[in-house]
Amino acid sequence: MTPDLSAPGPLAESAAAKLSLAVPCARLSLRARGAAVAPLSAALGLTLPERIGTRASTAAGDTEALRLGPDEWVLHATPAALPGLLAACAALSPEHPHSAVDISGRELTLVLEGPRAAELLTLGMPRDPDSIAPGEGRRTLFDGVSVVLWREADTRFRMDIWHSFAPHLASLLATGCAELAAETA
Amino acid sequence: MLLIHCPYCDETLPELEFAHAGEAHVARPENPSAQSDAEWEEFLFIRRNVKGPHYERWRHTHGCGRFFNAVRDTVSDRFLATYPAGAPRPSLASLTGESE
Amino acid sequence: MSRFRVPGRGRVNPDRPVTFRFDGRPVQGCEGDTVASALLANGIHLMGRSFKYHRPRGAVAAGSEEPNALINTRRGPGRAEPNTRATMQEIWPGLEARPQNCWPRLSFDLGAVNDRAYMLFSAGFYYKTFMWPRSFWDKLYEPVIRAAAGLGVSPSEEDPDTYASRYLHTDVLVVGAGPAGLAAARTAAEAGLRVVLVDEHAEAGGTLLSEPQARIAGLPAWDWLTAELAALKALGVRVMTRTTAIGYYHQNMIGLCQRLTDHLAELPADTPRERMWRLRAARVVLAQGALEKPLVFDGNDRPGVMLAGAAQTYLHRFGVRVGDRPVILTSHDSAWHAAFDLQDAGAKVAAIVDTRAAPPAALAGEAQARGIRVLAGFTATATSGRLRVRSVRVHPVSAGTVGAGEEIACDCLLMSGGWTPSLHLFSHTKGSLAWDEDRTTFLPADTPEDCVIAGAGRGLWGIAATLADGAEKGAEVAASLGRGASAPALPVEGDRTGSGTSHTELATDRSPSRARAFVDFQNDVTAKDLRLAVREGMRSIEHVKRYTTNGMATDQGKMSNINGLNIAADALGRAQPKVGLTTFRPPYTPTSFGAFAGYHRGGHFEVTRRTAIDPLAEAAGAVFEPVGQWRRARYFPRPGEDMDTAVARECRATRTAIGMFDASTLGKIEVVGPDAVEFMNRMYTNPWTKLQPGRCRYGLLLGDDGFIRDDGVIGRLAHDRFHVTTTTGGAARVLNMMEDYLQTEWPELDVWLTSTTEQWSTIALNGPRVAELLRPLVEGVTLTEEAFPHMSVAECTVAGMPARLFRVSFTGETGFEVNVPAPMGPALWQRLAEAGAPLGLTPYGTEAMHVMRAEKGYIIVGQDTDGTVTPADAGLTWAVGKAKPDFVGKRGLARPDLTAPGRRQLVGLLTEDGTTLLEEGAQIVLDPAQPVPMKMVGHVTSAYRSEAAGRPIALALVEGGHGRMGETVHIPMPDRTIAATITGCVFHDPENTRLKLAAPGGDA
Repeated sequence: MTPDLSAPGPLAESAAAKLSLAVPCARLSLRARGAAVAPLSAALGLTLPERIGTRASTAAGDTEALRLGPDEWVLHATPAALPGLLAACAALSPEHPHSAVDISGRELTLVLEGPRAAELLTLGMPRDPDSIAPGEGRRTLFDGVSVVLWREADTRFRMDIWHSFAPHLASLLATGCAELAAETA
Repeated sequence: MLLIHCPYCDETLPELEFAHAGEAHVARPENPSAQSDAEWEEFLFIRRNVKGPHYERWRHTHGCGRFFNAVRDTVSDRFLATYPAGAPRPSLASLTGESE
Repeated sequence: MSRFRVPGRGRVNPDRPVTFRFDGRPVQGCEGDTVASALLANGIHLMGRSFKYHRPRGAVAAGSEEPNALINTRRGPGRAEPNTRATMQEIWPGLEARPQNCWPRLSFDLGAVNDRAYMLFSAGFYYKTFMWPRSFWDKLYEPVIRAAAGLGVSPSEEDPDTYASRYLHTDVLVVGAGPAGLAAARTAAEAGLRVVLVDEHAEAGGTLLSEPQARIAGLPAWDWLTAELAALKALGVRVMTRTTAIGYYHQNMIGLCQRLTDHLAELPADTPRERMWRLRAARVVLAQGALEKPLVFDGNDRPGVMLAGAAQTYLHRFGVRVGDRPVILTSHDSAWHAAFDLQDAGAKVAAIVDTRAAPPAALAGEAQARGIRVLAGFTATATSGRLRVRSVRVHPVSAGTVGAGEEIACDCLLMSGGWTPSLHLFSHTKGSLAWDEDRTTFLPADTPEDCVIAGAGRGLWGIAATLADGAEKGAEVAASLGRGASAPALPVEGDRTGSGTSHTELATDRSPSRARAFVDFQNDVTAKDLRLAVREGMRSIEHVKRYTTNGMATDQGKMSNINGLNIAADALGRAQPKVGLTTFRPPYTPTSFGAFAGYHRGGHFEVTRRTAIDPLAEAAGAVFEPVGQWRRARYFPRPGEDMDTAVARECRATRTAIGMFDASTLGKIEVVGPDAVEFMNRMYTNPWTKLQPGRCRYGLLLGDDGFIRDDGVIGRLAHDRFHVTTTTGGAARVLNMMEDYLQTEWPELDVWLTSTTEQWSTIALNGPRVAELLRPLVEGVTLTEEAFPHMSVAECTVAGMPARLFRVSFTGETGFEVNVPAPMGPALWQRLAEAGAPLGLTPYGTEAMHVMRAEKGYIIVGQDTDGTVTPADAGLTWAVGKAKPDFVGKRGLARPDLTAPGRRQLVGLLTEDGTTLLEEGAQIVLDPAQPVPMKMVGHVTSAYRSEAAGRPIALALVEGGHGRMGETVHIPMPDRTIAATITGCVFHDPENTRLKLAAPGGDA
């Protein structure tokens, strides 16, 4: 049972959880450290979050950053905002060393929501979903595949997956939606 | 399955997120070409294979992506400490006293 | 109502009869029965045959420790499970249960001839008998033994069930829902902790289910249990029944196997058969209780001989009287209650035979009040009965002398040799055990895990004691997690505490060498076998175990290990703690492969990565092959074409017109930062400083040992930005290696690495007409030899899509690789296919790619190299920047053995008959006439039929190959030896004239 990932929209739904494919967005991998971070924050219009797993958004809300590692952030933005972000970063080179790489084409995002969305993650995620607070995010593992998980609320998650792994993971998540619902019944 | 504390994420997480990366504190020589064959052999191949507390490297592959160092007792399979790459190695005496 | 069902007893539902089949015949039980309890309710004790002697056997226990009553359960094709314990399998209408180890039928079994030959089949029989002659082993002994041995039959059809797995995190896991477990869970939950309580049985309660006479906190035990479970639910405790804790792994990771449908008549939708939970608990409370030990005496395995505690369980939990005329044979007080309860349930107890000279007076008095005959200070030396016990022979023992025997008629013999804690999970933690002389058993001592033992599992006896201990341990665990908790005192009435003594074999007046006194029922190990093993020189308990197979059956020695240890220790003349217990290993009970596999079967067996263009290849009828985790189109057959024909056509089209290839799986890494060029200089063998933005170079990556790790074309996009490509299979490994050097050796470099493998769909276009195709589609670059020579890269648009265009070739033809954002790949593929159709554009797969690159002598790392090949070995010295002060592998290349003569070097091979295709992996020798074993000087790494070369071609690694040009080598094959000539690696267009780009408008 491999859900059709060719267009955004619902993929599987049950009383327990709903799985859908998010509308494509622009994605940027941003790497920098030390003194370069503050100018990047200023250029991007958000304060690049300091603690791994925390997030920050621009005032306009069109760009959001999640810290993944000591010198690594991933930015999600509206497609319209991307050229501005790239240009803002480019303008800081070479005085403020950093790396900004457009990875919009690399990944897709699945949305998991519903009363048992957190439990749905336990089908493949070794870490405790409760260790990721709403409003935070982490890179972690799901069914053996690296993913970035954004916890939007207690019962809503976004999962960024490299394209080639997505059918495998979406299939397991769809199985889980049905399995969890059968358990409730 | 072990639990490993990532010194960068400051979280204790399942081993599945990590990859083992061999013995720690085996620094690549500054100028390899100046190394004798014996020295280079030592660097490339000779490892301590410790029974007991072992300084080793791990990478938080499916997390922050960082390589870091750890002291793990190869008999009990318990971590005595983890610390960032580049940090000085903690003395065993300081670890075995307080092994949490 | 079945003959042995006791009205008003048990927790089964007599109003809901359930019919199932056993041994081909219908049997009626009640809802709530197990197969064993339903059979016993019908007076059926014979449930199976033993493994080695095929002796008739019945259920000896009532739980998961059952060694005898193993059945095969079936639910249609593929849904069959061997070695199911009849004592655990719940019945449902239509269940088909078959006994095992018997043919033609359970009551008459030909294999039982082994039993007559008992004297032959002693310990070590197989080792001694089937040793010689050696040649007989493979052809005769092994197949015959295999056919005769084996426990149960596995189904041959595919299993139609699904299996599941989850991770679960909790504060406290309590294993075992008896009084201790219930109390521990309650206390911990009341302290505000997240608690999971698991039990392998269908319902929680443990021993309370077998002791309804007790009153707890003023309530009858079963009412208290109901109230307690409701309270746990209200507190949010997750109570999981039919869930076995199969293994205790590092740092409080416990594997739980939950059986979800094996008890159901109808299989619910979307529900897996079993679910494996990988649970991590901050603290674990092991409250698994104790197991009753059998007594060891001749004939202790006849159907009808059963543990007294099991009889209690059958009576109270299932409302089944296991016999009308039981004899109780015991060395422990607990069995006396079985006698009393059975007498009260309508049985006529023939006698209570206690091995102790002076059992407690209170018990004797109670027996007297019920009119039950008591024989104290007695032993049992034999039983009779073919398919069911008919009598037991008992003797008084005085001062070690066995007196005159008396035969007592009975229809069941209920034995108890005392109790031993269930130590299995504790043992998994590498916990140490302490010998308890009073109880003659091991008790849990220290464990490295955050784990406590509660109740009978640490030698406590009786409901009051275990309840109190459970509550106390629950509070202790809560306190260790920073929660205050109080352990409530619960008054218990009607508790049955007691004590006993322990034995090796029971005293006998017969020759012990003739006795069939079983210790391990499932593996048919007798006390005699154990003593023989010691006599034959086994000193370690581990050797005794393996020599006799005691404790090695699927029951993991639950009932046999302690008795086996006591006997071995006695034979060795050493105290038990000096002999030690063998190690218990996971799983606690047999666990299906399905439960371990979980979701990972069929299409979900492992990740299959597909490119964005993959669906188009599939629609075009491509045949795929796995490459690492990816599946790649191997060739695109047209109707009627086999692989060779299709590949030849694809190669021809590429060499004469245009070939199009999905190269998206190539690893890609974006290297960005002011120190990017310095990093590249240090990582790769090649020099990068002078490579201008807009130009590419073939890059070779070594390990510090000097061996080739990976290769790929690398484009410099800007002063501080490189587009690195890697092999498909090497992408993750190369990035990991680069990160390793960057993070830990050169942290001072301002450069960062980003995987862009999946950012781009990569389409390779090769062939003489490729420029004709691309010129109208490309904007931003002029496609001429001057403006965009071979090994160039540009950011531009192709068919209106943002692209990174590389001019590279892996075929020897004029070549381009177009990278567009991955989701645009299919659109570009289709656009190119349409535009290229008039030009003869043909899609090709990995096979044609392999052929064409081999024709040009381009290596594939991992196929033509094997981790021991240097650049010089592969003829790639030109790619090594000798002027650079250092790069990864530079010092390695100077190692004496890497510069020594006689290394295996990559060469071309042409078979001398001009038509034979060599086999990849075939070994090469210089002299085919030499005696076997021949000296092998290399092997074939690549071999293809080549139209361009007009004959089959091959690449090979051959000792000193570069110095052997023109020499003949030989490739011995099973049916013949093939002669081949060593050549250079390039079989086509050695001057590289075909790489050139034709001028616009020029002739293709």
